[in-house]
Amino acid sequence: MSGLIETLLWGVANGCIYILLATGLNIIFGVMKLVNFAHGQLLMIGAYVAFVATTALGLNAYLSILVAMAAMAVIGVALERLTFRRVLGTDKLNEIFVSLGLIYVFENAAVLLWGNKWKQIPNPLQGEGLVIGETLLGYDRLVAILIVAAILIALFILLKKTKIGLAMRATSQRSETSMLMGVNIEKVYVFTFALGAALAGAAGALYGILLPFEPGIGALPTIKAFAIIMLGGLGSIPGAVVGGLLYGIAETLAVYFLGGIWQDAIAFALLIIVLVIKPTGLFGEKGE
Amino acid sequence: MQKKLLAIVVIAIVAVAAVAVVWQLTQTPSPEARSIKIGLVACYDKAEGQDMDRAAKLAVQEINDAGGVWVKEWNTKVDIDLVIVDTEDDSTGKAVGPVTRAVLEDKVDLLIGGYTSSGTLADQVVAIDNRVPYIITGASSSLVTRRGPQGNYGGLPAGDPLRINDAEGMSYMFHYCTTTADYSKTVVKFFAETMKPLLDSTYEFGSSRNLRLAILYRDDAFGKGVLADSKAVIASENLPIDVVVERSYPATATNFQTDLTVVKDAHPDAVYVVDFIAGTAEIIKQGQRDVGLDTVYIAVECCEDPQFYTLLGEYGTGQLLESKFAPYAGPPFYLSTVDTYVTDYQAKYNTLPGMMGADTYDAFYIAKAAIEAAGTVDKAAVRDAIESISIDQMLIITETGKIEFSTGTNYHEIAPITFVEQLVWNEAAGECRAAIVYPNTAPGIDPLKQADFVLPAGYEPGS
Amino acid sequence: MPEMFTQLLGSVEKELLEFRQSDKFYFVLGAVAIGLVIPFAASEYVVGEVLTPMIIFMIYASSWNLLAYSGQGSLGHAAFLGIGGFASALLAIKLGLPPVFGLLVGSLFSAGIGLLIGLVCVRLKAWFLAMVTFGFSVIIVTLISQFDSVIGGVMGFPTPLIIERGLPFYYLTFVLAAISIGVMYLLIKSKTGLAFRAIHENEPEAKMIGINIAKYKLLAFVLSTFFAGLAGGLFAQSIRYIQVSVFDPYYSFLPLMMAVIGGLRTIEGPLIGSVIIVTINSYLYKIDDVLQGLMGPLFPNVSNVGPPLRMLSLGLFLVLVVIFLPKGISSLLPKIREYFSEKPKKAKTHEGK
Repeated sequence: MSGLIETLLWGVANGCIYILLATGLNIIFGVMKLVNFAHGQLLMIGAYVAFVATTALGLNAYLSILVAMAAMAVIGVALERLTFRRVLGTDKLNEIFVSLGLIYVFENAAVLLWGNKWKQIPNPLQGEGLVIGETLLGYDRLVAILIVAAILIALFILLKKTKIGLAMRATSQRSETSMLMGVNIEKVYVFTFALGAALAGAAGALYGILLPFEPGIGALPTIKAFAIIMLGGLGSIPGAVVGGLLYGIAETLAVYFLGGIWQDAIAFALLIIVLVIKPTGLFGEKGE
Repeated sequence: MQKKLLAIVVIAIVAVAAVAVVWQLTQTPSPEARSIKIGLVACYDKAEGQDMDRAAKLAVQEINDAGGVWVKEWNTKVDIDLVIVDTEDDSTGKAVGPVTRAVLEDKVDLLIGGYTSSGTLADQVVAIDNRVPYIITGASSSLVTRRGPQGNYGGLPAGDPLRINDAEGMSYMFHYCTTTADYSKTVVKFFAETMKPLLDSTYEFGSSRNLRLAILYRDDAFGKGVLADSKAVIASENLPIDVVVERSYPATATNFQTDLTVVKDAHPDAVYVVDFIAGTAEIIKQGQRDVGLDTVYIAVECCEDPQFYTLLGEYGTGQLLESKFAPYAGPPFYLSTVDTYVTDYQAKYNTLPGMMGADTYDAFYIAKAAIEAAGTVDKAAVRDAIESISIDQMLIITETGKIEFSTGTNYHEIAPITFVEQLVWNEAAGECRAAIVYPNTAPGIDPLKQADFVLPAGYEPGS
Repeated sequence: MPEMFTQLLGSVEKELLEFRQSDKFYFVLGAVAIGLVIPFAASEYVVGEVLTPMIIFMIYASSWNLLAYSGQGSLGHAAFLGIGGFASALLAIKLGLPPVFGLLVGSLFSAGIGLLIGLVCVRLKAWFLAMVTFGFSVIIVTLISQFDSVIGGVMGFPTPLIIERGLPFYYLTFVLAAISIGVMYLLIKSKTGLAFRAIHENEPEAKMIGINIAKYKLLAFVLSTFFAGLAGGLFAQSIRYIQVSVFDPYYSFLPLMMAVIGGLRTIEGPLIGSVIIVTINSYLYKIDDVLQGLMGPLFPNVSNVGPPLRMLSLGLFLVLVVIFLPKGISSLLPKIREYFSEKPKKAKTHEGK
């Protein structure tokens, strides 16, 4: 029983990381109608940036999250301007091709810079937690959940209460209309992409604190993020939150009961089931 | 324009045909003395592969510095030319190509290495077909020499897809390595003969209480092989061990939290971790640090590598490692050849050697001895020489004290001795070092045991 | 509307006649001739490990490309490569089917699975389809691992040979490739191909003029997976082994890279792409030593910088091609021809003056 509770907490913490990743993707897709398959690699680079910040600069692991977010935002701007902007509006498959190329670029750049030995961000809270009977509730998981909640609240405020947030929401509805209303589409796009990348960076830093990582870890989280978006509905942030939590718990429970090999297959099984039942996702699409 | 193109096409065909003819005519055999080409088949992506590379280069350098290999046929000593055969991640698609290239293009005289079982089973086929002696020092599956026809080079029945019908070709395969059966036996016997009595006396368990063993393994041929072999030995020797949980995880996993939680729920006395360096170190760390599974973990010999000790840090204290080559259990070492090798390796590379390199190092000396005994580089003669070799053991302890491949059994294996080490924290080094705790002796080495096995601090038995 | 279709039928004949009379015909003839003769000029290793895989990947990349004609970009084609490989090998081993037969049945089996997956995918938008296909290639590894006692795919096993290694196998592959690519060419030039292209270019409009979207997309899927399965069976023959590593994402991205770099939605694109990438993979390893010497010190965390540098360059190359040369390298060919035919034209204008 204690194992189950620990596993559930772990599932929620994992789910929170997925929420951040899925939300980033959601925002980018909602505003730009862009699909970036290399999003998981942004998570991976974020983890490495946070690692460098913590080990080389001596920052506290949790402060490194901010560093990772900033760094990824910058990389996001560069990516958007140099690559994605140029293929937006061309053949829809081009975005997919560009992201695939980027996957190879990012992964191998990480291998070259840091090697492929597993690393983990030194975590001040490691191994400690709330002990209730036989159950160990790790502090690092609880803190991760709190951090994600904080980021989501900040995001909410940004989207609902600021000018840029309004511009983003307007653009996600109808770009032509927003252009007529004086919204600078290009600026919105850059900002949105940078924001999505920053969220991925935060997800990466949290990942790196809780788990060992290596250059190849980006691939599967991307797929899981997509699966969550499908569950929760394209463009819906609350949907991504609920979907992410459910997914994290479902995945961990599946591993607990069925065995480790189902960890990744669960994502796809879920995906295929949802798509067979409802090809536009469980909650349909918003703003398409 | 059309005629022009037609002309171009015709000329192209003629040119290509001419090149073909000239090429065939210029192929000449080369009977004169030349350096001996030995291909090292290793996975440079991984730490173990890099260790093999360093060990190989050390061996080749030593041999060449001493003049080289005496080849009677040419009446001279010649150098060894090391050919790197990098199989990248050792998936079958990536392993077969480089080995094929080594055999057909580089025309190696001999191959040494092989990293994973599945990669080697795939890439050895080209060596079998082309009759190139292959001393396999990596793969632990015994099938690499035992997949021939029943009653000849091994024991796979007809119709088994892995079986190779070419008995002659199979005779070129040599397995200089321990098999999963070898070391699984050592591990479970250690638990039965050393750990269980200690548990019984410490916690006043009755002798009828079997030791509760958890097996946590990676989901591939290696992991499954060890699982099967361990259970087989427990059954056949009637050991007082219960496998209370068998848990597998994907080979690509980095997160073992849930798996460890499941293992914890089964209340084991010990956990047998079957994975390579990175996974095993993570499991031992996550188990103690994140999941609170305070038991004793035993790692498999492929973890015997400096990186393992570094990754474990202080979480390795009190944990166990099954091994056949212990560069961290000394000085003083249990074998003088180990002493020399560790010193030389460290001087040249500024790091300690690992286990897969040790096998590889020995294999180069086996190759040298065989070529010198055969007096030629003719592959069939070299194969015969390896088969009948009997030189003193080097870095790997054998049952007879000599390096000899099994004959009369029609598969080419050695009879290695493996042992179990316990890790102890070494303040000066800043990481763990090891001491052999089982068995007490080995042929020619008395004592082998360096320390008594103790339960790690904070240890909790299963029940 | 019906006149459009009769016009189309007529146009296939016209297309073929045009082709026969065009320059392209001689290029194809030349390429085929070179392909037939070149094995004699090459060593056993090059024939078996460079040329034969090159041709196998031509089939594989073309199969992916065929699907792309209908606007469907699969990210999990390795699933069908592997299914074809496993099916043909298992049929030969377990049922004792003659291996050539096994190839064919394996391809049909792959197409059958393709039908099932296609039924799910045809209703999906581009990136959903990409995800599902990728997901399928991951699940299938889990499935095959679960049935390991029957299939034995985790450790893998050798494939029974269809034909002798070396030249015989090369020519078998060559013939099968010629047939496959020929069939795909005819398909693309037919009304079916036109339907594919119409669907890709403007799906709502295609629907309006009466094209049954789902039917054609599904057809594209089944045909594509058939040829991918064929390539898989041949690939298993080529490395003489089949194992779950054949489902690695690497093998899903390869045909995509080949087709895009060579020229997406052209017949020659995947062929060009295959030649380029297989050549790079086969020979570029030779500069690894040089690379290590030059750049090794820059990257102390890696002991062999060659492979990651090469993969990074490949990814970068793909990105650059998509951005700057979206029609791939094959779009450069007309420019090359123009260059060659400019000279006589220039001479004429000179004389004119």
